[in-house]
Amino acid sequence: MIVQLFVAVISTLAFAVLFHVPKQEYFYCAVNGGLGWMVYKLSLGCGFGVPVSSLWATLTLTLVARMLSALRKMPSTVFLLAGIFTLVPGSGVYYTAYYLIMNELSKSTAKGIETFKIAGAIVLGIIFGLALPQSWFNRLGRLTDKKGTSEKV
Amino acid sequence: MPKSKEQHNSKEILNLAVSMGEELLKNGGEIYRVQETVGRVMEAYGVRDYHVFVVTNGIFATVHEQGEDAGSMVRDVPLGDINLEKIAGINQLSREICQGSCSLKEAYRRLEQCKNASPMRDAFLVLACGVESAGFCFLLGGTPFDSIFSFLLGLLLQAFLVAGTKRNVSKFLLNILGSAWVTAGSLMLYGIGLDVQSDRIIIGGIIVLMPGVALVTGIRDSFNGDYLSGGIRLMDALLTGICIAVGVGAAVKVFQLLGGGALPI
Repeated sequence: MIVQLFVAVISTLAFAVLFHVPKQEYFYCAVNGGLGWMVYKLSLGCGFGVPVSSLWATLTLTLVARMLSALRKMPSTVFLLAGIFTLVPGSGVYYTAYYLIMNELSKSTAKGIETFKIAGAIVLGIIFGLALPQSWFNRLGRLTDKKGTSEKV
Repeated sequence: MPKSKEQHNSKEILNLAVSMGEELLKNGGEIYRVQETVGRVMEAYGVRDYHVFVVTNGIFATVHEQGEDAGSMVRDVPLGDINLEKIAGINQLSREICQGSCSLKEAYRRLEQCKNASPMRDAFLVLACGVESAGFCFLLGGTPFDSIFSFLLGLLLQAFLVAGTKRNVSKFLLNILGSAWVTAGSLMLYGIGLDVQSDRIIIGGIIVLMPGVALVTGIRDSFNGDYLSGGIRLMDALLTGICIAVGVGAAVKVFQLLGGGALPI
């Protein structure tokens, strides 16, 4: 578990580099990615399916990204984009294509639909995360900025 | 908040605001962020009567002075690479403009500075891609041994992507060739008899091609009511996913025809 967490953090860091995240935010990005992966793994361990686990993980990622965005005065996209990649269903796309080529159509369809389910769960996770009112997060932002200017998400 | 009485040319303000918006949009900003930034910058310099319309690949804006048309601007913004550093920079600039601590001239200078920020060296990007491939290979159940090969394939993939982007190869072709290349490399390792889980290596390698950014931005745009722009992004995500599947499928098929037989899963 510790090793997994460590690898997830490193992978997210690599993505932060690929997306040209400002250097001073690398650390927060990576921590957010590791957190997402941990929630995903814990949720799987509790017996939830892959789509539901993805939902929990993206929800966590989005909320933490918004908190960080308020605290660090950065667009929340900065923290969200790199972190979300640990959850994107890359294996689903691969297996769907693979079974299709191998002419195992029922397996291919099953994998394809599962991939869409995971993508849908990620969508829902982000939407739930975004639905909370910005004013809650602005209050956090005032901890680091006395003026309390209204922030963009 | 026009604190000073100095009168700016509306056209200059419009140009600044739209240029900032263009920079945001080009580097992967969401629609509402672009729209809001353009609007706030204009208002900060005292322009009240304006209209801005932003879609994923274009900005349209007009300003009026005393009810008369004082200028309009259309910018075509092709979908580009993600550069969050520039987005953060523009965001900071717009915040300072709104606080009234940045003159128009200063703002132009800062914008140029932001535009010309030295990009990350390619070598770093290539290395990052290798690390990321190896990491995901491991996370998805690969052994450290698999990860080593995933790392090498990831390095080569990003080198290919960087070279392809510089030569303006179409994104679709890059995705198909990139995923086919990763698959072929991994299957070759399997073919020469190494004890590797080729599927884990492939998945680790293609993660970097996955349309995660387009998916997230598409959702955010749709969530804010910009259905048109969100649709463009989501369509982009779907097509990219299909391209990756095509590339993987083609490589697997060729391997099969060459006599590799069924692969282990």
